[in-house]
Amino acid sequence: MANGGTGTATATAPETATERGALTHPDLHRLDDVNRDVLKMLGRPGKGWWALFGLAATGVGVFLTAWLLIQVPFGIGVSGLNSPVGWGVYITTFVFWVGIAHSGTLISAILFLFRAPWRQSIYRAAEAMTVFAVMTAGLFPLIHVGRLWHAYWLIPYPNSRFLWPNFKSPLIWDVFAITTYFTVSATFFFLGTIPDIAAARDRATGLRKKFYTVISLGWQGTDSQWHHFGKAYIYLAALATPLVLSVHSVVSWDFAMSIVPGWHTTIFAPYFVAGAIYSGIAMVITLIVPMRKIFGLEAYLTTKHFDAMAKLMLLTSLIVLYAYLCEFFLAWYSGEEVERTAFWNRLFGNYWWATWIMLTCNGFVPVMLWFKRVRHSIPALFVISFFVNIGMWFERYVIVVTSLHHEYEPFAWGMYRPSVVEMCILVGSFCWFGFWFLLFTRLLPPIAIQELKEVMPPPMRKKATTQGADS
Amino acid sequence: MSRDLAERDDGIKRRDFLRVVGVTGAGATLTGCSTAEVEKLLPYVVADESITPGVATWYTTVCGGCAAECGMWVRTREGRAVKVEGNPDHPVSEGGLCSRGHATLQHLYHPDRFHGPMIREGTVFRQGTWDEAERLLAARITRAQNPANTVDGGSVMFVGGHMSPSMGRLVDEFVGALGGTRVDYDAVTDAPLLEAARIAYGTSSLPRYDIGAARLLLSFGYDFVESGASPVEHGKGLSRMSAVNDESHAKGSFVFLGPRLSLTGLNADEWIPIRAGSEASVALGMASAIAGPGSTGPYANLLQSYSPAAAAQAAGVSVEAIEALARRFASESPSLALGPGTGAHHRNATAANLAVMILNDVAGNVGTTVHYDPAAAGGLAGASSSFSGIEDATRAMASGEVGVAFVHGTNRAYSLPASAGFREAFERVPFKVSFASAMDETSALADLILPDRHFLESWGDSTPRPGVMAIQQPVMQAVPLFDSKQAGDTLLAVGGHLGQDLGAATFYEYLRGHHLAAAGGSTEDFESGWRQALRLGAVEFDAPDAAVPQLRSPQTALTFDAPAFDGSGDLTLIVHPSARFGGGEFSNSPWLQELPDPVSKITWHSWLEMNPATGEERGIRTGDIVTVASPHGSLEVPVWLYPGIREDAVALAMGGGHTGMGRYADGNGVNALDLLPAVAEQPSGALVTLATTVSVTATGRGRRLATIEGSSDQYDRPIAPAVQLALLGEAVEGAEEEHGELMAPQGVGGFVPVPAEGGAPAAFPLEGARHGEYAQAHEGPRWAMAIDLDKCTGCSACVTACQSENNVPWVGEEQVMMGRDMNWIRIERYYEHVDATQAGDLDVRFLPMLCQHCGNAPCEPVCPVFATYHTPEGVNAQVYNRCVGTRYCANNCPYKVRVFNWYRYTGDIPEPLNWQWNPDVTVRDNGVMEKCSFCMQRIRDAENRAALEEGRPVRDGEVVPACEQSCPAEAIVFGNIRDPNARVTQIVASERTYRVLDELINTQPAVNYLKKVTFHEVVSEAH
Amino acid sequence: MNRNWLIGGLAGVLALGALAFVQGGGAEGAGAEGEEAVLQPIAFPHDLHAGSEEGQANMDCQFCHFSAERSVDAGIPSVSTCWGCHQVVQGTNNPGEVAKIQGYWDRGEPIPWVRIYKISDHAHFPHMRHINAGLECQQCHGEVQEVGPEGLHTRSGIARSLFGADAGIGENGPVWGGDTMGWCIECHREPNPEGLQQASTDCAVCHY
Repeated sequence: MANGGTGTATATAPETATERGALTHPDLHRLDDVNRDVLKMLGRPGKGWWALFGLAATGVGVFLTAWLLIQVPFGIGVSGLNSPVGWGVYITTFVFWVGIAHSGTLISAILFLFRAPWRQSIYRAAEAMTVFAVMTAGLFPLIHVGRLWHAYWLIPYPNSRFLWPNFKSPLIWDVFAITTYFTVSATFFFLGTIPDIAAARDRATGLRKKFYTVISLGWQGTDSQWHHFGKAYIYLAALATPLVLSVHSVVSWDFAMSIVPGWHTTIFAPYFVAGAIYSGIAMVITLIVPMRKIFGLEAYLTTKHFDAMAKLMLLTSLIVLYAYLCEFFLAWYSGEEVERTAFWNRLFGNYWWATWIMLTCNGFVPVMLWFKRVRHSIPALFVISFFVNIGMWFERYVIVVTSLHHEYEPFAWGMYRPSVVEMCILVGSFCWFGFWFLLFTRLLPPIAIQELKEVMPPPMRKKATTQGADS
Repeated sequence: MSRDLAERDDGIKRRDFLRVVGVTGAGATLTGCSTAEVEKLLPYVVADESITPGVATWYTTVCGGCAAECGMWVRTREGRAVKVEGNPDHPVSEGGLCSRGHATLQHLYHPDRFHGPMIREGTVFRQGTWDEAERLLAARITRAQNPANTVDGGSVMFVGGHMSPSMGRLVDEFVGALGGTRVDYDAVTDAPLLEAARIAYGTSSLPRYDIGAARLLLSFGYDFVESGASPVEHGKGLSRMSAVNDESHAKGSFVFLGPRLSLTGLNADEWIPIRAGSEASVALGMASAIAGPGSTGPYANLLQSYSPAAAAQAAGVSVEAIEALARRFASESPSLALGPGTGAHHRNATAANLAVMILNDVAGNVGTTVHYDPAAAGGLAGASSSFSGIEDATRAMASGEVGVAFVHGTNRAYSLPASAGFREAFERVPFKVSFASAMDETSALADLILPDRHFLESWGDSTPRPGVMAIQQPVMQAVPLFDSKQAGDTLLAVGGHLGQDLGAATFYEYLRGHHLAAAGGSTEDFESGWRQALRLGAVEFDAPDAAVPQLRSPQTALTFDAPAFDGSGDLTLIVHPSARFGGGEFSNSPWLQELPDPVSKITWHSWLEMNPATGEERGIRTGDIVTVASPHGSLEVPVWLYPGIREDAVALAMGGGHTGMGRYADGNGVNALDLLPAVAEQPSGALVTLATTVSVTATGRGRRLATIEGSSDQYDRPIAPAVQLALLGEAVEGAEEEHGELMAPQGVGGFVPVPAEGGAPAAFPLEGARHGEYAQAHEGPRWAMAIDLDKCTGCSACVTACQSENNVPWVGEEQVMMGRDMNWIRIERYYEHVDATQAGDLDVRFLPMLCQHCGNAPCEPVCPVFATYHTPEGVNAQVYNRCVGTRYCANNCPYKVRVFNWYRYTGDIPEPLNWQWNPDVTVRDNGVMEKCSFCMQRIRDAENRAALEEGRPVRDGEVVPACEQSCPAEAIVFGNIRDPNARVTQIVASERTYRVLDELINTQPAVNYLKKVTFHEVVSEAH
Repeated sequence: MNRNWLIGGLAGVLALGALAFVQGGGAEGAGAEGEEAVLQPIAFPHDLHAGSEEGQANMDCQFCHFSAERSVDAGIPSVSTCWGCHQVVQGTNNPGEVAKIQGYWDRGEPIPWVRIYKISDHAHFPHMRHINAGLECQQCHGEVQEVGPEGLHTRSGIARSLFGADAGIGENGPVWGGDTMGWCIECHREPNPEGLQQASTDCAVCHY
């Protein structure tokens, strides 16, 4: 991945070039362009932003109503859940959002450690996405439980009952995994923004200035501060990296630890992690394409970035597809009747459509990414990323629902149809996510100013290079 | 919270009327935070010696549910009946009790009961006082009796249903004194059988069957397990007769002849799908084959004219099958033939019953397995209700001869075909009196309603069979909300107003007086007998000599030919009593509405049974709504495709389609009687239920059935295996080979020292069972259960018993459709081999599926808060108030026995229905998981009692879960598997023992099943 | 300076969070103690009946709470029980209160005592097992025989007399843990001194 950028250097770029930054941002010339362009985004919001924000806010309203005013008072029965299908859209969406949360840290931490050249201009958005996605995901276990008011019993704390949670239960592992991941990624995200917030502070006035002053933690940009900043950043990156792998492994164990045919599989951890990164990258693309348009960041988000992300998507799509095939093969190879029936039922049973949506979106559509022309066409990538998002949601739906509805006891087989409330909460969760993300694009520099500058050719040297190229 | 308040209020009201100490846990809810409101403790004003708060008091009585009159134990707490159970000391029912029996408790507390006498004023009813009502009635009778009165005068007519002997006598005396007439009628009746018995043997009571003694049992469509004269007794007989004996490997076989497999039929080893109405031909064909040419006897000539060939022709089955069966019937004696029963009351029903009697007689079964009590020996004469009687009554009413009409214990307007015109005729009667305790279709027409008491509140007696006398005693003071009065007392009071002298002031005196007279007047031994009757629930005195009666020659000319069917439809309509509602009198019980039908597994609504082949050729699938049209009516009903019915027949159950019975009955399903003609079978006069053909056309609409059935195919999984009788003895080795060494160590399973290779019982806990919180060595009991699938008849009595004992709520049709039924026991029904086209082996497996209390429970490690865990006593416990509701345990339960409270189901239960709640069991609230607890409260109760007396450990048989207690088939045994002498330990040592799915996933359940035993070879791999 | 400001802020947030936790735990434990003052229908003095001091009747608890040793419920005396004695004992201290008994007796009404000791509906407490294990009523109910009418008169009163050092309970200290499960567990965990059957800590012993 490290030299993913150079591997696809465009024809216009001289192979001998050393400033990889120059290749990444060919149209950026002066450092203060960056400040200007990026901080401009924090200015007065346009109509488009308000429209989106209004939409998101309404969605959040629906979301909270459906959950707190309908489901909690009346009971979880307002969902379509039943016996045998005790988990449905809620858990599906939970896993989906946890998955989304992954690429952020991947791009910002892992690619940072690998010194991948193309991360600078997208990692801020990706990180923000991570934080908000975890915020969203974290809600779903709460939405899902039958007695929300007792959900805190899952937290180990000394209590009057002398009772502790069951540390054997994967659900408890989840509690730890998610909270840890949220803490670290949030800290990492915030730390990375400090210098840029300071930059914003220096330009801002009035209330905004106060706000930035507080959260910039008195950043002055002195050498010592930069020194500490760099250290802290790299340590956090090192700390966050293993989490990318661990968190979704733990989530996958929610299923793998059970004995449900279709859940009880050893490949779940790598399979889920790959899927998570896959869906995460897709979501990044889905988010930054419109952002790029709205804020006119063409100079900052070039085809090179998209090309690199497309390749990452292609790779992970292959891993995921492999995992699918692996599951089906092993089900057949095990010779176990229950296992075989379960997977046959996946492909051709009552929920065949979900499975085929999953396979099409995740397995077949991304094949187009083999073609450079596709990778370089931003509209195409945008559409593909959408397919992948849909496909990845259905992947979780297939795993959760089809496995449960046909289990060991044929007489107890049943069907599950999501209810309106569940749908409201599903859609609402996207609005909730969008709500925070939109706020972010307004309040914090969505592109890392400082790091961009690092990889940009200093003005005087740009002249030199151009001369060199001319001669 | 709000729930909690409601609860508290009810609590106060309840205690107010009972004047008792507050009951811990009575109507307990999980919303435990009771800080807000003040709870009152209301002591007795004067303490009742017989009541210790918190300690249950038991009474014996007689179940008033149906004419079978099973013995009943009633558990009362603080003077409140909270559970009914079978009385083991009762000679007829021997401890069994059917679902309907359990559900009678709901009628006791039914919110639809009248709050007092209702007097019609114009179109509405006004609640009056008893004195007022009785005086009014007396006045109207005198007025009607006045010969001068031509406006609304006329005779007195008493239309009764099933009532106790003394009550019947009182009614006769009362009506007789007024020169009136009494007619009894029941849609579900054995009148043809009774009539046939009268013709053949001159007896006035139904024949008694000793089913348990038979080696070969034939049923000509007689549904004796679910309906019929005495379901519990006969069900018990069937399981005793057909269950294999593990020592001698003896096993009686059961052959079912009929167009449709009822629950009874599903228990058969062989099914001969004879055409509807051909029972007589088949029976006589067999009889002639057995009797041979040179036979004598009154029916010899008749038999000459019949032959197996003709029978096969009429029945549409192979002649070989009938000949073979005839040979077996003669050789495998004692054999027994039953039939045809209510499901096959066609126009020649009496003849058909007579034919079956002849068959029994020819095979020499009379006196061994069939007993005809000499005339006037009592017995079930009360069931001698006739439809023709009702026809006369209807005519009399319509012609205005009747001035005052009483209706007691029956719901005419519902249980008669619309074309009988009873409703119209009844409306013409000037003054109509109903004794119904709750509104129903008939009472809605009445002018005066005198609400009768529930049998748990009233006195009565019963003679379920000659030589047995049982007393029905009130087990609690009448529910105060309902100002009711026992019909007997009402009649006596009215009689008093009319100047009659019926020899008693109260019905209790009348009853006692009669029995005193019967006992020959000697008071002291009467007293002892009376007390014994009350204590044991029944007394047996030497039965009249059962001299084998001789078959008489017929005085009445009967035709044994196939009956005529109305209409030109291509499908014969079978209308049969519902296994849950009987003829419809039980339809207002939510327990029974929610109880999955033992055959179709459908709840709440009606369905039309149709053979899949028939459905296919018409493009009708399960769930399609069709129009069923007969010459007499038509109705719309969803189809359920059922391989157990002939391709030329469809079937509808009675009991649905109520319009004015109550909140739980109305609007559920359709009334099958609407399709029937109002025809009386001659000579018995019973209503003809197998009378018409219908045409079935799809409406193009469909619906989701409220069924609990997922798939009736067990996909060769080790769920409900069976073993061939011939293989018993080698079965174990056979099984080992099947699954190979891989399974051998796990095949041993849970707690039970099953004889492994080498015989040494497996140590406990087994390796690998450590996941179940077994770390600490425990010396106490290890609870386990054994269920013998060769005995289980699938009657589902255990389901209702469990629901009653454990405060399991009902959820309603919508929720069941979503798959949210709450029952802790699910009777699974898997088809192995069902063929409706020809005679052959039948293999249907019933499996009562409850929490298996796995030694290696998948549900336990996944619970994040230890809400479910394993007790040291081997029970998989569920701590309701610890449950957060992640539902992971349910997902991970391979048996799918965990049910979740999706809503606050217990909150919708109206007063005073919730008074039935068991105070010893927590009432679960919204959002928690629940499941079978092995009746933990009963275990604790037994432990407490054992500890109180000399602190001894619990003895075997002291803990009896509700399901085991009520099981008529004696299929369930519970006990401490650590005790080598415990019944469960010994039963489980059988070679037939296995554990569901254990060899597949090593769950090591505490529930051990004993394989069903078949006569044919078992093909399924699951074996 | 900004930095200090922030550190303070963070510390505050943490403190609040911790507080919330403790509160959560506490509230859980608090169980069924209501504080609203509710008058008992009759100001019943337990000390005069059960106390062993001079001028006190020194009656056995189970004379009135009759079913404690054979039932899960301890039992509340029937009006006839009270009236049995009090139709002769007019009561020296407070005849007015005693007279009320006759009122209830004549009207044939139960006395609507306000419930003080309440265990959650989802927990089962068999009195007889504890009595027969040799426990004293006081071990759970406190030194009830020392509680006068003022103590029992209101719910908060009983709470005070049992928890607070006042109302003459003194040395034995507060006993009634109300609904807190830990309070039961503590006792059940103790190895049994008299060699009686060791109490069980199995959840299903009380919760079913």
